[in-house]
Order: sequence, then C-alpha cells, then structure tokens
Amino acid sequence: MRKLLALVNRELLAYFSSPLAYVVLTAFLFINGYVFYLIVAYLNDPRTQAMAPLKLIFGGTIFFWLFLLFVVPVITMRLLAEERRTGTLEVLLTSPVSEGQVVIAKFLASLVFYLFLWAPTLVYVAILASHAKIDYGPVVSGYLGIALLGTMFLSIGLLTSALVRNQIIAAILAFAVLVVVFSLGLVENLVTGAVAKGILGYMNLWNTMDDFARGIVDTRHVVYPASLAGLFLFLATKALEASKGR
Amino acid sequence: MIEVEGLTKRFVDKDVVDDVSFFVPEGEVLGFLGPNGAGKTTTMRMITGFLTATSGRVRVAGLEVERNPLAVRARIGYLPENVALYPEMRVDEYLRYRAAVEGVPRAEIRERVDSVSERCMVGDVRRQLAGTLSKGYRQRVGLAGALIHRPPVLILDEPTVGLDPRQIVKIRELITELGRDHTVILSTHILPEVEQVCRRVLIIDDGKIVADGTPDQLRSGLTGTAELKVQLEAPEAEARAGLEALPAASNVRSDGNGRFHVTVESSADLRREVFNLAVRKGWVLLELAQTMPSLEDIFLRLTTRDAAEQEAQNEEVAHA
Repeated sequence: MRKLLALVNRELLAYFSSPLAYVVLTAFLFINGYVFYLIVAYLNDPRTQAMAPLKLIFGGTIFFWLFLLFVVPVITMRLLAEERRTGTLEVLLTSPVSEGQVVIAKFLASLVFYLFLWAPTLVYVAILASHAKIDYGPVVSGYLGIALLGTMFLSIGLLTSALVRNQIIAAILAFAVLVVVFSLGLVENLVTGAVAKGILGYMNLWNTMDDFARGIVDTRHVVYPASLAGLFLFLATKALEASKGR
Repeated sequence: MIEVEGLTKRFVDKDVVDDVSFFVPEGEVLGFLGPNGAGKTTTMRMITGFLTATSGRVRVAGLEVERNPLAVRARIGYLPENVALYPEMRVDEYLRYRAAVEGVPRAEIRERVDSVSERCMVGDVRRQLAGTLSKGYRQRVGLAGALIHRPPVLILDEPTVGLDPRQIVKIRELITELGRDHTVILSTHILPEVEQVCRRVLIIDDGKIVADGTPDQLRSGLTGTAELKVQLEAPEAEARAGLEALPAASNVRSDGNGRFHVTVESSADLRREVFNLAVRKGWVLLELAQTMPSLEDIFLRLTTRDAAEQEAQNEEVAHA
C-alpha cells in the first residue's frame, strides 16, 4: 500500500511538473468557459424552452465529447511509453512492485489529474446557484458520470501506452480506440434489429451521460464503463508482463 | 547465492544467451566480461527478472526468479547499463521515492538517504533536478538508489562508464568495499577493473561462457603461454642451446647482447631452472623475469575469432 502510494505520488509529481499539464488545464478551462457562456446565453433567450443548464454541460453538447476524446489520450500517453523509452521502466520493474501495482498506480494518478481538470467547473455550479435554485441531485450524478467515463477512457489510454514506446503513437492509438468505443453506441440509431439495438443501446455513452446528467444512476450505466475499465487495466498489466519476453 | 542453470534467451531466431550456467557463492565479486553484444546485459536482465528466459533457471538466495519475482527483486540492487532517472525529480526526492518503493521502513528512510548519498558521493547535488545531472552523477545516483534497501545481491551493469578517472577509482573502492558483505555481479569491458575488483571472472562471448576462474587461473591455466625474459653474460650459441633444452621452453629468440625471449608453457615457472643453469655453467645472470599473459591477451584470444578462420567460414557460406 505504501509502495502504491509512493508510485502514485511520483506520477502526480510528473504531471504537475510538466508544461503539458498546464497547457491541457488552460485549454480545458478556456473551452469549458466558452461552452458555459454559450449555454447560458442560449437559455437566456426567451424563445428557448426552459432546461437545466448543467444537463447541457454534462454531455449535452458535442464539446464535452470532443474534449474527452482528445484530452484523455494526452493525459495517458506518457504513462508507460515514456518509461519504456527512457529506460526508467527497467528500474521500476526490477523493484519489488508487481506489474499490476504499477498499472493501478499509473491509472490512479491519471484519474486524480483528470478529476483535477474538472474541479474548476464547480465554479459554474456556484455561479448558477447564486442566480437560481438548482437541484443538487443531478449535479452529483453528473460528476459521477464524468468520473466513470474518465475511468473507462483513461484505462484505454493506459493500455495503448503500455503497448508502444512512442508517446505520440500511444496517443493516436488511444484516440482511435476511444472513437470506436464512443461511436459504437451511436450506431444504435442506424440499426433496426431489436437485439442489435439493445446491445448497442447498452453501449451508448451519449445516452449514459444524458441519464447521469438528469440524475438517473442506472446500474447498467455504472457496470458497463467500470467493467470495461477493469478489462483494459487487466490487459495493460498483461501487456507489461509480456514485454519481458522480448 | 546466485545460481544460473542452462539459461537461454532467444530473440527471433538468434540465441543471444545460449545455455549459460554458473554459480556465485555468497560474498563473491564476480566480473562479467565480454565484448559488446556478447549477452552480458541480457543475462543480467534475466537474473533481475526484467526479461524472462526462453529456457533455464535462475535462483537468487534459493528463490526462483520466475516463481517469486517480488521476493527476488527485493533482494537485488540493480544498476542498469543506461541509468535512467526521472528528470523532474530532485536527487533527494528520487532516493526517498526509491526507498519507499523498495520497502524501506518509513522511519529509516531519512537515514538511509543520508548514508547512500554519502557513500556514493552525491551529497553536493541532493537538491538538484535529476534531469540536469552529468553522466557521472547520474551513474552515482543510480548506484545510490540500488543500495538504498541494503540488498544482499548487487548487479551492476558497467558501473564506471562515463565517470572521470578520479570517480572511477572511488567507485571501484566502493565496489570493493561492498564486496565484503554483498554478493556482486559486475559487468564491464575494462580489464584492469576486473583485476582490481573481482575475485572471479566469467568471460562470455556470443552468448556462451568461454572462461571461468580467478584472474590468476585465467592467466595461467587456460591459455598456454608466458614470456620469459633473460639476459646472460654467456656465449650466444651455448646459451641458446641451454635455454632450448629447458623443459616447457619453446621458441627461443635472441636480440643480441645475451638478451633472450623464451616462450614458456604457462604452467611452468622456469626462473629456477634458468638460475641453476647459469650457476652450473658459470654464466652471469643480468636479468630474469617471467611475465604472465595479461588478462587483456586472454580476453582478446578468447573473444576474437581468427580473421583467417572467419574468412574461410565466409567462403564456405558463399559457396553453399
């Protein structure tokens, strides 16, 4: 446990001492601020029907998804690929920590950083709360949805970073996989078979996030991202173990 | 302490390490010699568990690496060939991090960091970012990290590469000192280093062990010849005949002034015979020395294939 903590700490230090973290953070706040402004301006127009603004912020617009699909690979690309390239992996994997511990530590650190990116959006909640009465239930479930999606996406990024030694290639691979995983669910609207529609509907992340933003915590929406995250973290561990054979 | 049995590593279709077996008893400093690409690093990586063997077994302190990877790793301090540190960490931070990961009790971390910093002479850069260190300092910080959990076994892959001569001497002294209470495997291609630091030498070439013994044994037992230098005040022809008649002497060459060079089968020390010969004949003995072949000679002889032989082999391949 103490070893795990040391690994997570080191990873967080690496995040917050790299310029990349601040570039991502700034871009994220900039885009989110702009989207928040658009949403508020849109809802202020008397011709639009009344809606909860936070529901739009949490997955209601394409911006939310663009951000996740682009930024998650940037967060995770460095994690294992860089250690492999520079050779620090050799020291890490000859220390008395298991491959599983290494993967979990890297994942936890990336999750902390990811949540740190989202933390400033709590300001929007505060702004809205000062002007109107808001229902905190959907806010909490919305953030839960963000955390769950993050868990799943970050684990995919971690897997691609375990597979290659070049960060950029890791990022591009992660992006490709994420686009597939994300768009699989959207295919729901393009098929007619009942079974296929049911399966694809289960994987529809847009609807998943929509439900979370409306305050609905459906166990299916929790199980799907969490089990996929578990699978990808397992695969990342196996990839790390397999790299010892070559 | 370290048992290696039939260790083989195959990459694609080439055996980089081919059926290597050796045993290192507790407290021995073993020098691992070989030209670049001979399989030194691959062998060391298999001992530390960073690479898995294609076949064969490694046991450290009685524990099999494949079965108890974590227990074995906890007993090994490993300095890889290219010492890589995290550039964004300060040296102090890095050593504390290594201590935690290696499982040093929290209460002891500060004292351990202090003592390894002093031992490895990195005290003056402790506040510096690892990314800004020179190669020599990086090497020493890496060594400090490898020592932090007081492992009984040290595996050092070319620990003196990139150091200046003064630091090399210091590090060799440190390794010699560590050898008193550690089992050490040290790879290098610097021969004087082996002679100074190691009690036993293993020469590996093309994935196979080609020699194994103490530096003295390697010099005498394995490779045949020593060189005897004699200067006598004696009639040239008579002296030559006398020297040629000695047992184990061959190829007597003279360069005038009674100076002779004699090639000797190395197991024999001919100085006594030469002295007795001179006394019997009433010659004056001006100079007498028998030199052992240097480890360098042995190394070159064992690891360099005859150019002609190589040529012949190529011819054969070309014709086939």
